[in-house]
Amino acid sequence: MNKRVTLFFVLMLALGLLLVACGGGAAEPAAEEPAAPAQEAAPTEAPTVEEPTAEPAMEEVTLRWRTRPDNQAEIDVYQSVSDELSNTLEGINLEYEAGGSETSSYQDVLKTELGAGTAPDVFWIPGTDVADFATRGLIMNLRDMASATDGYSDDAFYPGPMYHLTFNPETGNTGEVLWGLPRDVSTFALYLNLDLLAESGAPDPRELAANGEWNWDNFIEVATAINNLGDDIYGYGQNAWWGPYGYWINAAGGSFFNEDRTACALDTAEALAGLEFEQRIYQDFNVAVPYGEDSEPPFLAGKVGMFQNGRWATPGTRSSANFNWDVVELPEGPAGPSNWLFWGAYVVNANTEHPEEAWKLVQALTTAEVQGKIASLGANVPSRVSQEALDAFLTYTPPENNQAFLNGLANNPATEGPLWAGNWPEYDAVMGPAVAAVLNGETTIDDYAATICNEANKAFNQ
Amino acid sequence: MTAATVGSREKQSPKSRVDLWLRVVMIWHVVLALGSLGGVAYVWLGGVTWAGWVKGVVTAVLLLLALFSAMAAVDINRRQHRGRTISLAVNYLGFLFALFGSMHLIGVFTGIDSLADSFMRGIPFLLLVFVGFFIGTLTDRYQNPATQRTLRQTSKAVMIVSGVAFLLAVGIHNGILALLSKLTDPLILLLVGGTAVFAVMLWAMWRQPSAEAMHATNADNEMLSGYLFLSPNLLGFLFFFAGPLLLSLYVSFTNWDAFGTKDWVGLANYGRIVNLDVARLDTITQLASEAIDVTVYDELTRFEILGRSYIVGAQDKLFWLSLRNTLTFVLLSVPLSVVPALFLSNLLNSKIAGMKFFRAVYFLPSVAAVVGIALVWQWLFNATIGYINYFITVAVNFLNSVGSGFFDPQIRWLSDSNTALLAVVIVAAWQWLGFNTVLFLAGLQNIPRALYEAATVDGANSWQQFWKVTLPLLAPTTFFVITTTTIQAMQIFEQVFILIPTNPAGPNNSTLTLVLYLYQKGFQRFEQGYASAIAWVLFIIIFGATLFQFQRQRTSGSSYDA
Amino acid sequence: MKSYKLSETLKRILIYAVLIVFAFVMIFPFLYMLTTSFKLPKDTFRYPPRLLPRDALTVDVPGYDEPLPLYYVDVDGRQEQFALIESNIRIGVYADPNNPEMTVELPVSDVEPRGGFTNQEAITINGEEQKLWDVPLNGATVPMIQVSQTAYGRFADPNDLSREVLQNVRLSQPVEKLSAHPQNYSEVVALQGMDRSLSNTALVTILVVAGQLTTSILGGYAFARLRFPGRDKLFVIYLGTIMIPFVVLITPLYQLMVTIGWVDKLAALIVPWIFTAYGTFLMRQFFITIPKEIEEAALIDGASRLQILLRIFIPASTPALATLATFTFLYAWNSFFWPLVVINTGNVENHVLTLSLNVLRGRASDSPNLILAGAAIAILPPMIIFIFGQRFFVESATSSGVKG
Repeated sequence: MNKRVTLFFVLMLALGLLLVACGGGAAEPAAEEPAAPAQEAAPTEAPTVEEPTAEPAMEEVTLRWRTRPDNQAEIDVYQSVSDELSNTLEGINLEYEAGGSETSSYQDVLKTELGAGTAPDVFWIPGTDVADFATRGLIMNLRDMASATDGYSDDAFYPGPMYHLTFNPETGNTGEVLWGLPRDVSTFALYLNLDLLAESGAPDPRELAANGEWNWDNFIEVATAINNLGDDIYGYGQNAWWGPYGYWINAAGGSFFNEDRTACALDTAEALAGLEFEQRIYQDFNVAVPYGEDSEPPFLAGKVGMFQNGRWATPGTRSSANFNWDVVELPEGPAGPSNWLFWGAYVVNANTEHPEEAWKLVQALTTAEVQGKIASLGANVPSRVSQEALDAFLTYTPPENNQAFLNGLANNPATEGPLWAGNWPEYDAVMGPAVAAVLNGETTIDDYAATICNEANKAFNQ
Repeated sequence: MTAATVGSREKQSPKSRVDLWLRVVMIWHVVLALGSLGGVAYVWLGGVTWAGWVKGVVTAVLLLLALFSAMAAVDINRRQHRGRTISLAVNYLGFLFALFGSMHLIGVFTGIDSLADSFMRGIPFLLLVFVGFFIGTLTDRYQNPATQRTLRQTSKAVMIVSGVAFLLAVGIHNGILALLSKLTDPLILLLVGGTAVFAVMLWAMWRQPSAEAMHATNADNEMLSGYLFLSPNLLGFLFFFAGPLLLSLYVSFTNWDAFGTKDWVGLANYGRIVNLDVARLDTITQLASEAIDVTVYDELTRFEILGRSYIVGAQDKLFWLSLRNTLTFVLLSVPLSVVPALFLSNLLNSKIAGMKFFRAVYFLPSVAAVVGIALVWQWLFNATIGYINYFITVAVNFLNSVGSGFFDPQIRWLSDSNTALLAVVIVAAWQWLGFNTVLFLAGLQNIPRALYEAATVDGANSWQQFWKVTLPLLAPTTFFVITTTTIQAMQIFEQVFILIPTNPAGPNNSTLTLVLYLYQKGFQRFEQGYASAIAWVLFIIIFGATLFQFQRQRTSGSSYDA
Repeated sequence: MKSYKLSETLKRILIYAVLIVFAFVMIFPFLYMLTTSFKLPKDTFRYPPRLLPRDALTVDVPGYDEPLPLYYVDVDGRQEQFALIESNIRIGVYADPNNPEMTVELPVSDVEPRGGFTNQEAITINGEEQKLWDVPLNGATVPMIQVSQTAYGRFADPNDLSREVLQNVRLSQPVEKLSAHPQNYSEVVALQGMDRSLSNTALVTILVVAGQLTTSILGGYAFARLRFPGRDKLFVIYLGTIMIPFVVLITPLYQLMVTIGWVDKLAALIVPWIFTAYGTFLMRQFFITIPKEIEEAALIDGASRLQILLRIFIPASTPALATLATFTFLYAWNSFFWPLVVINTGNVENHVLTLSLNVLRGRASDSPNLILAGAAIAILPPMIIFIFGQRFFVESATSSGVKG
């Protein structure tokens, strides 16, 4: 008897839960339905641009957008930017979604959502992935809408990123299309532990840089001096991805690809010379955090003298570093100064129902004002070529020597970029392990030179 | 409408009432048959804009429905039992289709999300429900009937009140309102109505008088019950398991990228996986490009036998690397989690105090989420500030203070291609060890004491006892433990994915396992066809390994029996 | 006889030693997780590592705005607690050119170049020219060469600032006290919405366990006790599919979810997992062991199949149900691969704990205290349930082995 009561009770609970679930189904379509009339209107109106403004009576369109923030402070800023734009942009209602972090495969998740049709209307992707998204037809060509927009010009942004953002994979020419606008840029710098530097008595890299003497020889001298302070102290640290070793290759005059980015150039004499020097940092001079170990924890623990990282490491260092620190530009290589120009872009989902509004949003997100707000967090450098934006950037300290990042931008940076003629993830998957084997002393530079391009060239479309 | 007609004739004799019901069902089947034929006509002539294959499937289903309905109608008319079976099957499937269709359209399934939204508010009340249930279970402890009754009533009251409170807290009122507003949608109304009609027909045919009128035997009834009981499981199994399984096989023969193109490529995916090239080298150091076609193959390995040098190239080098890593992982992690478990379980079985405590402690890791555990170990493995290297340093210093000449290896666990996989092995073995210990312990406790006593009388020492008594009698458990651990180890993914930061493939691809490679191909590069092919290859490998163990178990098992 | 007893005792001690070592290995990672989750971020990056969370002590010193950190320093052979009032003071190591073995360490500011900055005197030693400095030493000024440079901190007695000591800051021991920071947990809840993930995980787990028990009981009963055509063949197919690895299904199942619109929905984590061959198999194996006679008697009494199942079979199979519930619970709570594929990071609302952890480890990669607090939130609930229902868990694992 009691069993039956229990059973009945459990059944009622389950039924009740089902009923609750009904409520959820209701809430969603109800929210989407008002948008339905607008979604039919938008595509037909797309060719006859500039009309939406003539119809202020139009219903509010809801746009979802997403970036990859690295911490809560950044999420809050993006959220406030979103709320503000939601008020100022007419007829557009914004929903900001914080994407995952670097380790949670942000781009892969986006592709999964694009495949399932649940991706946001506007989203940020790293520069290396633009080709992959564009050639798969996942993002929209904004060129027509851009040409019809007053005051828009490609030249407002750094030319490096814009080369790739306007590249037409069908004709192989740049300037023809528009895949998106850069959110921000960043360069590498060396984060210095000033306490270790002072204790070692080595010359100050910031002074060396000011005197034009900051080169690879002096770098090794400083790194060695710091490294000699103790068994658990390292002179230099970097993380294991293409950016850091790319600098050593580029600064020696080499490059990942040939001039028109259609073949591997990792086996040129210059590229090999750069890699060989970096190998010596690990194997001969022995002054670095072992390659492949995350250098950030020991740096923050005060055990690394010079840590090569981008502007994005600044907020974390501000909050966690228990020592005096600053930054300095990367040393000049045999082929002169070198650096990377890292960037990512806001792009528009190819299947968005509101392309006009999405384009407005992309522009609004890349204004000098919005970029300044985000730059104040310390995580990135504005992507607009504007003295005003740069001056503002310089005020966000620490580090004192913010100019180092801008010097990196000014002095011959190689632009991070997608591989239009091939598949960047494939290329990266071949290059990364091979380089790591060299730096760890598992492969000789000659063996590496003999095979690397045979394997890496398979990432290009034959 | 049917319900109304029936209601007015309720007072007729049982026999004619059954006949009436059967006639209603028969008419229903005729209507169903004609309706589905009409549906077919509408699909092809009414200008439906569906894809060709969808049209085909819908037509086939409708035609089958028409056919079976017609058969049911005829058989019911003749009072043949087959008619009852068919009618029940058709109505049951129709009922489920209409039910789930309306639930889907109402949004019950996706609505679980909003349930999750308010679920947190309901948790305290849900806990209260459980408290009420426990009060109810306390009745057994008291003899006094009055106390028992009070307890029972308290329990009931607590459960009902907190249950209602729970439902209100998670928002049942909104659900009911939403449901009512949904019912205005004509399609949903139609489906809900359909659900009701199917249910009535089902009931009419299922009930005992109808069964008798249709000459159902006990065996017939048992068969129908069997299918009915199995059906929730079977249908779900077909929809979410068997169906996708076949689809997966199909996808593995295509070049699907999850966005658009899906072309049949035959065995090309499998070909690319297993495409190897072996060539002879003049010297072991000769360049690969001189021996194999490096535009197709990447050098996998080179070796020397009988003074001759060979080189092996693979079209998909990463697959072979991941296979090697996976097998290495299995060969290390299985012994490491089985042998110590066997040892520990024998220690625990020697009647010591605190056995249950140790057993519980060893079991602890198997309860924890792999993702969480891997995050913890990631910091333990840290080369510069991690505990593992610290312990090694302490041990080495200690040894050096006693003797000397030991040096501190300062292992870079996760960044050295020689140790990264070992680190994963350690985490996995650590987690699986306790579970296996508990399994062995259970097996040991099933071995009769008398056997050991007999062995002692025969003069066997404990070492001999272990080999001659324990191990043979433990063979079934050992087999089970090794098989399940192997299958688990073959599919290693989460440990690697979390443990090796930023690049799970590890230094020099040393922790790229098969499932990780599959994930990268399928959900990072979106070569879903190729990923499916890898999955099937993995299945074949697991199947082979299990079969191999079965064979060994069988041969060795029979020798023990003799 | 006595020696037998002695060796027996030794054996016992040895056994306990081994058991305790293994117990330590099993427990230590959890201990580390818990203590680290109460640390400050700065306290986590330390070598040698320490288990318990500690805070560095500071002291308010008149004349300084901020509280100053306290360190242990050696004063005349006694250890005292001094405040660090200034760091990075440049120190030169000076040596007598005639007696290079004898060195002194002084702040470079106390040293003057011999002969002035513009016209500094120099001396040649071993063919190398070395500049000479006027070093004040015991009241006299001695010309010396600089051997190397380093930096020290200036430490002072907080009660008597005139008592000063110069020494290396990095190698000095800070004064600390034990303290816990439970706010890490609230921080991680705010950062990653772990509370929502927790209730999502609970909901998913409850529904999966309830659903799977229901379908497995019904299916297991049909396979065990009801005769119908095709039963045995179907059962063999069920058995065969148990061995198929989940990854084979992942692509088409994902596509199925796309088709019915369940990507990103919790339903995708629940509904497909309600129907499993393993559960059906387990229940069937148990049900066949129940004597047929009871069932037949009930049938003759006019009980329906459902009544028989509810009144006879379910009460009799508590151990098997416990086993199934336990395994399903652990599987649903801890699963990661499928949620990773089907619930994407865009919809944070629908994250389960394992997914939140995956995002968290990237977002808080420089704060292990937060990551491990998150891990603790995911790991502790099943563990608490385990500690309360220990017998239940262990026995269910056992019965799976014996029956399987």
